Amino acid sequence: MARKSFWKRITIWRYLFLTACFITVVGNPFTNYYWDINFIQGWFQSLGVGNLWVVSPLEGIESILTAKAFYMPSLVGMVVPVTLAFLMGRVFCSWMCPIEFLSMITDKILGLIPKWGTKLKYRPDLIRFPKRLLWFALVAELLLTMIVGYPLFVWWSPPGLVGRETMFYVFYKHITVEIAIVVLVLLLNLPTRRMFCRYFCPLGATLALIGKWRQLVIRYDASVCVGCKVCDSRCPMGIKPSVGESQSVYCWNCAECVDACPTSALNFVWRDKGVLKVSSFPVAEERKS
Amino acid sequence: MAKKKLTESRRKFLKVSLGAFLSGALTSCDLSRFKNPKTMVKSPIGPNILRPPGAVPEDHFAQKCIRCGRCGEVCPYHCIKYFDVKEAGVFSGTPYINVMEKPCYLCMKCVYVCPTGSLVPCAKEDVRMGVAVINRQICVTWQQEKTGLMCKTCFSVCPFSGVAIKIDHDFRPYIVEENCTGCGICAYSCIADTWYENKGKKAITIMPIKWKKIKEIKLEDIKKS
Repeated sequence: MARKSFWKRITIWRYLFLTACFITVVGNPFTNYYWDINFIQGWFQSLGVGNLWVVSPLEGIESILTAKAFYMPSLVGMVVPVTLAFLMGRVFCSWMCPIEFLSMITDKILGLIPKWGTKLKYRPDLIRFPKRLLWFALVAELLLTMIVGYPLFVWWSPPGLVGRETMFYVFYKHITVEIAIVVLVLLLNLPTRRMFCRYFCPLGATLALIGKWRQLVIRYDASVCVGCKVCDSRCPMGIKPSVGESQSVYCWNCAECVDACPTSALNFVWRDKGVLKVSSFPVAEERKS
Repeated sequence: MAKKKLTESRRKFLKVSLGAFLSGALTSCDLSRFKNPKTMVKSPIGPNILRPPGAVPEDHFAQKCIRCGRCGEVCPYHCIKYFDVKEAGVFSGTPYINVMEKPCYLCMKCVYVCPTGSLVPCAKEDVRMGVAVINRQICVTWQQEKTGLMCKTCFSVCPFSGVAIKIDHDFRPYIVEENCTGCGICAYSCIADTWYENKGKKAITIMPIKWKKIKEIKLEDIKKS
């Protein structure tokens, strides 16, 4: 089967959505500062769209852990991202995060290099850690927060810093030293694709933990697979869908493998639907007989 | 053999990147501050450096605040600023108002966007960002025998003029502490610094009240600060 037509590729929609989210986050300091339009405020630590408040789960939890007090609007703000993670897993990371947008742009630019492009774009991992390092990052982050007594991820969260530095630049005409963290995270992409997202991001770990029970998963159909292993090289998270890892906790539903697969052996399914399909077979057979 | 070489280069890479990161982090920080680590965890709130309206007590403000920057974005006067990591350590990214640069005009927009309750919604007159203190040695009206001036600037700019700042029979201003919101407009617009003997000092300073909830603040606390 030939490659999917342009608008049918899910990754195209992902790139468009990523760009839209990036423009929203980077553009809202400008609208707030120059035109006093306060419809959208903040960035991915807490985003306000009209009266809708979204609070990032990890930052909200850290705030609760260190202040040792609940605040209802903050809990309500965490409902939207947690529900999203329950339904679709780590889609925040792959479909909204500004860091992922910047990584995607760097990958696309690397891909434009003649001759070496494809090799650089889908470069093999030079540095690998066990994937469970992600959970240790989350535990270490929370423990360190409790020990220090002040929320830390609110300060160094790379997706938040992108919005924060833009806001500082627009409002106060200077950027702060924290931009080094964003640069470091982007540099870590070079030896291993999405190295920070894979192994060190506590927010990603939180969403992956919730996404363990996600509904939207990628189903691997072994009967259609021809074993070309394109999906393994395309996956930015270093997961191997060709050996049945497509429903792993570390998958962030970015649809790269779904689009790369030449025989449509990988597809998005709602987990419940899959279960229903299996159980409906015997019933149908009974009716026939 | 090839594997060994790869491991070595990997180690080298890790070492170099770690070293570069550490040296970058160290050089970007003011090293003199590390001699006294207390400055990294000491609250940078002080005279004329205040929290935005409706802030919870300073001892757990930095714990509650998630540094989302929404208060600064909605502030129509752009008077809310954020601490830098070099100056404030763990307080970096928390909002403050420097009344000498731009005071708070009590529009009360920021308290309604705070997602974590660091800024609690409250009425204009219930705001207690601090309390204004008049230095009677510097105030040109209090020194009217020497200066011959009669200035009523602070009285006329105060949003609670006649309630928070009153003037006595000699037109000398005095603060009614229990009604002062600490917005800092009086301190900002004080003209005492233009009097040549004062050498640029303003007569009014806003002292922060940072250790109690708004409703529990009593007159003695305000007078103590």
